[in-house]
Amino acid sequence: MQRTIAPKRRRAAGRFWREYGWAYLFILAPVLLFLVFTLYPVISALIMSFQQYNIMQSTWVGLDNYERLFKDDTFWKSVWNTVVFTVCTVPVNIILTFVLAHFIYQMKTKWQTFFKATMYLPAVASGVTISIVWLAIFDPTDVGLLNRFLGLFGLDPVIWLGQSKTALFSLILMNWLGSHGAGIILYLASMGGIPKSLYEAADIDHASGWTRFRAITWPLLKPTTLYLLVTGVITSFQVFISVYMMTQGGPNFATTTIAYLIYQTAFKFYEFGLASAQSFVLAFLIILVSVIQFKYFSSDVEY
Amino acid sequence: MALVEFRQVRKEFIDRNKQPFTAVAGSDFVIQDKEFVVFVGPSGCGKTTSLRMIAGLERQTSGDIIIGDRIVNDLHPKDRDIAMVFQDYALYPHMTIRENLSFGLRNLKKPKEYIEQKVREASAILGLEKMLERKPRELSGGQRQRVALGRAIVRDPQVFLFDEPLSNLDAKLRIQMRVELSELHKRLGATIVYVTHDQVEAMTLGERIVVMNQGVIQQIASPTELYANPKNMFVAGFIGSPPMNFINARVEQGRIVVDGGSFGLPENIAERLSAYSGKEVVLGIRPEDIYGEDFAPGVSTEHRLQAHIQVVEHLGSENLIYFHVGGRMVTAKVHPETKGYTGLAKEFILDLRKCHFFDPATQERITGK
Repeated sequence: MQRTIAPKRRRAAGRFWREYGWAYLFILAPVLLFLVFTLYPVISALIMSFQQYNIMQSTWVGLDNYERLFKDDTFWKSVWNTVVFTVCTVPVNIILTFVLAHFIYQMKTKWQTFFKATMYLPAVASGVTISIVWLAIFDPTDVGLLNRFLGLFGLDPVIWLGQSKTALFSLILMNWLGSHGAGIILYLASMGGIPKSLYEAADIDHASGWTRFRAITWPLLKPTTLYLLVTGVITSFQVFISVYMMTQGGPNFATTTIAYLIYQTAFKFYEFGLASAQSFVLAFLIILVSVIQFKYFSSDVEY
Repeated sequence: MALVEFRQVRKEFIDRNKQPFTAVAGSDFVIQDKEFVVFVGPSGCGKTTSLRMIAGLERQTSGDIIIGDRIVNDLHPKDRDIAMVFQDYALYPHMTIRENLSFGLRNLKKPKEYIEQKVREASAILGLEKMLERKPRELSGGQRQRVALGRAIVRDPQVFLFDEPLSNLDAKLRIQMRVELSELHKRLGATIVYVTHDQVEAMTLGERIVVMNQGVIQQIASPTELYANPKNMFVAGFIGSPPMNFINARVEQGRIVVDGGSFGLPENIAERLSAYSGKEVVLGIRPEDIYGEDFAPGVSTEHRLQAHIQVVEHLGSENLIYFHVGGRMVTAKVHPETKGYTGLAKEFILDLRKCHFFDPATQERITGK
């Protein structure tokens, strides 16, 4: 009996590998990358967040890092800064993106292509380069671009990044005027997907321009808006490059965001355990906010 | 309700090569109050453009459009007092059926009780009462179609416009909706302009039919008139299923000669064809006016034609027999007891009293039965 089953099994296994072997081989590469560069660091960080981490020897400290974290004023300040930054940038960016997309959508195809490309261009520049340009714009002396502009109206130069009351706002302003290209392209694609007959039906149904927008365009673009909202919030919660390049979290922690604090804790103070705990709190916050957004803004619209 | 009139209405578009393209070439017609008129024709014939011009969704290049007693050339769609049912229904996907139905009335700022009453009435007529709180995606194609109709009904417009509303439904549902539309027309007593490319739909629904081709109105007539007396080869070939057969023929000394036979003509027809003596004509005969020689009850068997059968289709109530005459495929719709199989050389009998003759150059009809 065994003699007959064993070759059968071998044949089946051989056939399986002949049919699916390549497929598994192709899947293997990304899976390995994910395991090594994503899953392993996440699990290590989780373990690390319960340790007093040292390269030579780590000690298990339980929830000490989390306790320290929640008692730390700087951490709460960074949470506050991150929330302010997010609340001030994401909705404004979505509105700006929508308005720009709306105007571009009215244009002829060749102009649409031109503006799509132009608006998307900043997305291919590195955050570091953009930050350097903005450093010149925010230059506190009267040769700074923004200050020179204010000077045209007889206003005194402002130390944009060097004082607590304007530093975070400066970063927010920079974000407002940053890249809206990806959002514009998404909105344009969604706008193009709304059937023209809906607007024609609305025209016959006595809808005004505002009603058309409020009752058709906006609700039908809700899935795109939700996507931009969720990704926008996630990106804002992780804001780092502009802070690192322009203010180093200062002055007086006025621009210290959670992501920057994590960097500082880990690579300036070498407190990897504490930094890991901060990272997990940030991850938890992002998940929490995303779930809330999906719950309250999700739309199952089909057209 | 109101009449709809086109006076020399022309519509030109600019095509991709920036050349003007005439979609509708100077149409003239009057649709009477409470009349159900169907525009029919192949794709690109200008029927939908005509409907969209009535709706105000397209502006005519020249000419006047009249609805009721007003010239509506420059009126916005909402000011034309019309309602339209779109091919894709154009239901607002994020609104409930109740919201879809009431959208127009809400925009008109009608009182709540009035809107409620109109929605109730329309949903009762169309059997939508139980689905008012559902979204369009939760409904079947036929139900969506009814909602689109309901949205038109609640507004009590002067004119209803239908743009191929049944084309997305399956064959069975289409027949059912055709009946419902006819009943609805009687019930509402409304002026209806209906566009379709399906001639069966046109014949069953329309009190009058406007046949269009390449932007030009070919004929406006009742379904029976169109079928019996088509003005030209296009109308003759478009109306009727299977379509009318066209056989190349020649008039010679009071006889008509076709490939496979020659027939003496009845005196009245021979007289009308006298100008074509010695010339080519096209003989048009409907499939049901051709009989197999073995089953032609009550038909004069004098006009016979010999042909080899190409294909026989058995449809149960009738057989369709296909054969070639003078290089053209001819279809005969015969009694199921008529014998025939592929390759059989068979004699067919033509009921020449019901045939038509067309000028091959102008394609216009030169004589009738």
